[in-house]
Amino acid sequence: MHCDCTEKVSLLIDGELSPVEAREVELHLLTCTECQEARGDFLNLRNQFASVPVSFRPVAQREALARILGKPPSVSRGFTRRWLFNPAVAAVASLLIVAGLIALLLYPRSKPGPAESGEIASGPSRKPTPAPAPSRSAEGGQKDRVVPKGSQPAGSNDKNKAPKKKITPVIVEPPEDNIAAVAPETRVRAADTETMTAIHFQKSELLLRSFRNVRTSSPGVSAEIGYEKRLAQQLVYQNMMLRREADAAGDAQVASLLESLEPILLDIANLPAKPAHNEVKVIKDRVERKNIVALLQVNSTALARALD
Amino acid sequence: MASQDEEFTVLFQDFYPSLCRFLECLLGGRVELAQDLAQESFLQLHRTAWGTLPRDEARFWLYRVARNFAINEFRKSHTRHRLFDRVVEAMRPRTKNPEEEYESQERKDLVLGMLSTLPENQRVALLLREHEQLSYRDISQVLNVSESKIKVDIFRARTALRERWAKKEKTLSKTGAVATGSF
Repeated sequence: MHCDCTEKVSLLIDGELSPVEAREVELHLLTCTECQEARGDFLNLRNQFASVPVSFRPVAQREALARILGKPPSVSRGFTRRWLFNPAVAAVASLLIVAGLIALLLYPRSKPGPAESGEIASGPSRKPTPAPAPSRSAEGGQKDRVVPKGSQPAGSNDKNKAPKKKITPVIVEPPEDNIAAVAPETRVRAADTETMTAIHFQKSELLLRSFRNVRTSSPGVSAEIGYEKRLAQQLVYQNMMLRREADAAGDAQVASLLESLEPILLDIANLPAKPAHNEVKVIKDRVERKNIVALLQVNSTALARALD
Repeated sequence: MASQDEEFTVLFQDFYPSLCRFLECLLGGRVELAQDLAQESFLQLHRTAWGTLPRDEARFWLYRVARNFAINEFRKSHTRHRLFDRVVEAMRPRTKNPEEEYESQERKDLVLGMLSTLPENQRVALLLREHEQLSYRDISQVLNVSESKIKVDIFRARTALRERWAKKEKTLSKTGAVATGSF
């Protein structure tokens, strides 16, 4: 089975077809399973590319620029050195250190520490922590644009874009991550569709991760999936609504992802309260096969970043 | 002169991270080398072409030169820097939590590993399309080849990666490995 149109699918997702050709290929896509799969796979590859972080340090960038322009490598370095060798500053710093030490000696038990509350035995880092906001895991501090949505105009006028704005996302701001991870609900209320989609992706991703970890130790034993089932029931309606909106807005990538997600949510929502091992396993396998967790992760990150 | 430097700074800040990533993917994850070559490309631009090159073309010029540097590196040595880069990478302080870091690194290794199996021309064309979002016409300008060749190269690259991805998934499902969220 080899459809001749798969090459055109590649051109379609790159926005390299004329409107007439694009329409033809889209019509063909409605009937050709092979091309549908190809499109899904190509978009999946695109998402995988988009999620590659860059090992890159802003300091190195500054130093490189200074070297090229022939200026001193770092303004802040000279500044630091001047301060460090200033005797007055050194004296004040010493005084502060001594004062700090005295304070530590005098008030070692002014407030209950972890030792008193018995936490020291396990140590704070060993406390079970909630699952990290996974949509952020793909961030390497680099990707500064939304996951491409198909067409893209010629890059020759890229330089006219507001340049300063492109730089800021390079540095990941931990507080924002925390806000996004801690209070997604508050964001929903004031959010538009894209925000809701991003949050929906995050929630679905958490659900699927949680579902993936459901333990069914042996084929005869049923699993406890009350939480996952309830969450899936909530998400499935939102998924339908968002899919319709994405379809109406012509956002094929988001619509296609929501379309893949929907049957999985439905299946989880319709599972019995104590499903058999096989019932859970079938859904788990499907989630893995469709690579849906990674796709959700990439898309929610991209949407969230675009909204920032 | 000052305004030229300012313009150059804007261009540098806009494209240095992207150029680093492009080179890193091209060189199979050699981070330090990628940053060195990115710096070298900008240095060349500043010294030789900045006064004469139309501003719109500077970006294409940069990618072209960076790619040539990368090819030269390939010719010089495939392995010389690899160990050193890995050591440096391993020593680098981590800011994310270990699980995120692990997943992120695993995904990156997987993508870079698959990319490294492609012929160089396909890899460059695909990277310029997927990462830099250049149009086929722009890519053909960077690489000095026809648009139709770019079209074919990108399609072949995608098809090859798709097949490898499917094989990878099959292997995983056979071994029963638990995916970590990346695949």
